[in-house]
Amino acid sequence: MNKGKNLIRLAGVFAVFTIIIYGTSPYGAGQIVKDSSRIRADLIKIDTMAAFGRLEKPPVVFLHDAHTEALAKKNLDCTACHLTEKDQIFPKFKRIKDIDRIAVMNIYHTECIACHGEMKVAREKAGPVECDGCHRAESQYASSRQPMGFDISLHSRHSEAQEKKCERCHHEYDEKEKKLFYAKEKEGTCRYCHKAETKDNVISIRLASHIACINCHSKTLAKKLASGPVTCSGCHDLAAQQKIKKISPIPRMERKQPDIVLIKSAPKDAVMDADMENQNRMKFVPFDHQAHENYNDTCRVCHHETLKPCNQCHALAGTEEGKGVNLENAMHQAGAAESCLGCHETQKGAENCAGCHAPMGKISKRKDDLCQKCHMMPVSETEKVLNSDAENLLAAEMLKSRKSVIGTYPEKDIPEKVVIKHLSKDYEPVDFPHRKIVHALMDKIKNNKLAGYFHSDEGTICKGCHHNSPVSKKPPQCGSCHGKAFDENNPLKPGIIGAYHQQCMGCHQEMGIEKPAGCTDCHKKK
Amino acid sequence: MSISRRKFLGWIGAAGLGSALGKSAFAAGSKHFEGHPGSLGILHDITQCVGCRSCEAACARENALPVPDKPFKDLSVLEEKRRTTAADYTVVNKYEVPGRKAPLFVKKQCNHCLEPACASVCFVRAFKKTETGAVTYDASVCVGCRYCMVACPFEIPTYEYDEALSPRVMKCTMCYPRIMRGEIPACVEACPKEALTFGKREDLINIARERIRQYPDRYIDHIYGETEMGGTSWLYLSSVPFKEVGMREDLGVTPAPELTSGALSAVPVVVGLWPVLLMGLFAISKRKEIVFREELESVKKAAQPPIKEDI
Repeated sequence: MNKGKNLIRLAGVFAVFTIIIYGTSPYGAGQIVKDSSRIRADLIKIDTMAAFGRLEKPPVVFLHDAHTEALAKKNLDCTACHLTEKDQIFPKFKRIKDIDRIAVMNIYHTECIACHGEMKVAREKAGPVECDGCHRAESQYASSRQPMGFDISLHSRHSEAQEKKCERCHHEYDEKEKKLFYAKEKEGTCRYCHKAETKDNVISIRLASHIACINCHSKTLAKKLASGPVTCSGCHDLAAQQKIKKISPIPRMERKQPDIVLIKSAPKDAVMDADMENQNRMKFVPFDHQAHENYNDTCRVCHHETLKPCNQCHALAGTEEGKGVNLENAMHQAGAAESCLGCHETQKGAENCAGCHAPMGKISKRKDDLCQKCHMMPVSETEKVLNSDAENLLAAEMLKSRKSVIGTYPEKDIPEKVVIKHLSKDYEPVDFPHRKIVHALMDKIKNNKLAGYFHSDEGTICKGCHHNSPVSKKPPQCGSCHGKAFDENNPLKPGIIGAYHQQCMGCHQEMGIEKPAGCTDCHKKK
Repeated sequence: MSISRRKFLGWIGAAGLGSALGKSAFAAGSKHFEGHPGSLGILHDITQCVGCRSCEAACARENALPVPDKPFKDLSVLEEKRRTTAADYTVVNKYEVPGRKAPLFVKKQCNHCLEPACASVCFVRAFKKTETGAVTYDASVCVGCRYCMVACPFEIPTYEYDEALSPRVMKCTMCYPRIMRGEIPACVEACPKEALTFGKREDLINIARERIRQYPDRYIDHIYGETEMGGTSWLYLSSVPFKEVGMREDLGVTPAPELTSGALSAVPVVVGLWPVLLMGLFAISKRKEIVFREELESVKKAAQPPIKEDI
C-alpha cells in the first residue's frame, strides 16, 4: 500500500516538474520575428508620453500603412486622423501640439479605441481595444525602415516636374519678420536648417520632409498625375527605394555655381594684406568643380554645412565657425568624406585599384612632391584683392595643362616574361607574364581621371609591385631585398617565398581575379 | 553513544573556527608569468591563410605520423570542421563568414600556453613547459589517465585509443627537436604565404601590433593568445571576430593552474589542522567525563557502609 502511495507522489512531482519546464515559455526571451510579413517599413513607435515623464505602459508599435490602407477602403484620406489648417497638414495624431499628459493620452485612447470599436461592431477586421493589445511588452513586428533622402538624380526629376520653380520647395526664414521667404541663388538642402531633432521653431527634418513631400505628393495624386509615394513603405522600403528611377546623364543644377575655381586660403573679396600673403606658404589649388559635381550622390558630401566655399568657415588657423578644423585638416584629413584627400583615399579602395593599394597600408609615407600635384598656382601670380573671375580663368588654363593619362615606359623596356626560379625545391620555375600584367593593370584604370593624373609619371605604376625603392626603368627585383624569412632585424619584411605569394595572391584576391588558383596554375610540380 | 546538544554545537563551532583560522587559499595570486624570457612562439595571420594544407603535410612528414586516407592535396576535407586526432597534430578548418566573399582558414593545434593546464593536472609530470616555450610530452612516464585531455581549454590533446600496448597522448610539440637545433617548426617553413611567423613571443606581439596599426581596416584590434588563459605561445590575428572562426572568446585571462591552485592549496591545511583540533576537543570533552566518573566512583565508595570486621 505504501509503495503505491509513494509511486503516486513521485508521479505527481514529475508531472508538475514537466509542466513547469515545458509548458511555460521562457520569460522575457525575445521572440525572433521570422515571418517576413512582420518586418515592415511603416512602424511608428508611439511614446509621446515619454516627454511627460516615465512611461507607465510599454510604447505602442503603430502600423501606419496598414491604417492608410484600411481607411482608403472607406474612402477616407489623411484628414481622418491628421488635422489641417489653411492647406497645412499637421503630422501629429488629431492634435496640433502636445499640451499635457492626460489630454494627449485621452486623445489617443478615445480616438483609437472608438474607431476600432466601431469597426468591430461592424464585423470588420480591426485593431485591438484592450490595453495590452496595443501596449505589448514584446512587439511581433520589426522595423525595416530605410532612411530616405534626395540625391542629384531625384532632385533633378523634381525640379523638372516643378518647372524649375525653386521657390516651391526652397525657403529661408526671416528672424525679424518671423516668416518664410524665398532667396534666389541661396537654395540649399533642407538639412542645413532642419536637423535631426526639432529645436525651438525649426522642425526636424523628419517632420519637415513629411509635411512638405507628402502634402505635395497627395495634391498631385488628387489631380490624377504621376507623383511620388504617400505611404511609409513607398519611400522607406528598401525594395521601393531600389526601384526609384535614376536618370542619366543628370542635368546640371542651375544655381550659378562655378565651373572651375581656384581654391585659396581666404574667402572671395578678402583683401590680401602682407600678413595674409606671408601666411600662404602653399601654392593655390585649381579645382574642377563642375567635374566633381557628379562624383557624389549629393552636394552635402563636400558641402556638409553650407554651399558656401570651404574657406568661408575653415580658415588657415582654426576658427570657431569651422569647429576648430583648420584649412589643412579640412582639405587633407584622411578618413573624412568631406575632405579632398579623404575622398581620394576611398577611391583607392575600389577593386581595380586595391591590388596595389591595399597592401600599402594606412600609414604610408607621403612624398613631398606629391603636394605639387594639386598645389600648382604660385601665390605671386594672384591678385592682391582676391578677384575670382580672372583667377578662375587662370585655374582653368592650369587644369587643361594637366595630363591625366597613365604614363609608362616604352614596350621594349617592359620585360615580357620574367622567370622566377628562387628556391624551387618542389616546383618548376614560374614563367611570369610580366608585360601582360602591366598592360592588364593599365587597362583597368585607363578610364579613371583620378588614377590617370596620379599615375601620369612613367615609373609610378611599377611601384605597385616594385615598392620601397626609387622610381626607375630597371627597379630592383623582389629577391634583391626579400631573402630569409623571420629575420629579427626586419620583423615586418616577409622572406622571398612569402613576399611572392603575398604579393601575387594578395593582389589577385583584392581584385577578384579567380584564375590562377591553387599551386600548379602558377608553377608546375617537379 | 548519544551526543548532547551542547557538545554538538561545540564541535560545529570549533570546526568553523578551524576553517576560519586556516590561511586563505592564495597560492601566488599576485604573480603573473609572462613566459620565460626569449621564449619562442608563432604568429598565425588568419587573413593570409589560403587553406592549402601544406602545414599539415609538413607536420605529418616531420613527426612520422600515419598517412591519412585523403591526401593532403585534397581540399574537400575542409568542408567539414575537424579536430586534432591521434594522427593529426594540426588541422586547418574553413569558415564561411557571412558578408565576406572569400572563406577564412584557421590552423588549429596546441597553443603551448605559458601556464599549461595539461602540465598542471599531470601528476606524473609527463608534460613540461620548456624554456623555449614548447610544451613537451614524455611518453615514458605517462600513465594514460587522460586528465590532460579533460583539462585543456582548447581540447587539443588526443589519445591513441587504437594502440593496445603503449598508447600515447598526441599533440603538437612545436617541433622541439628542430627548434633546439636552431631550425624553425616544419609547418612554419612549409607555409607559402608566411601566414605563420616564427620568432620570440615578445617580438611577435610587436609585429602583430604593427600590422594592426598599419592595416586597421584589415584586422580586428586584438591579438588572440596574448592574454587568453594567461597567454599562449601561438598568437592569432584575424579580420573577423574570433568566435566566427571557431575560437573561444569566453576563456578569460586567468591561467588554468591558477583556477585550481586555491582549492588545492587548502588541502594540506585542512588535513593537517582539523584532525588535531577536533581530536583535541574530543579529548577535552572526554576528559571531563572521565573526571566526572572518577569523582562519582569516589563518592559512591565513600557512601558505602563500612565493612564490618569480625572481632
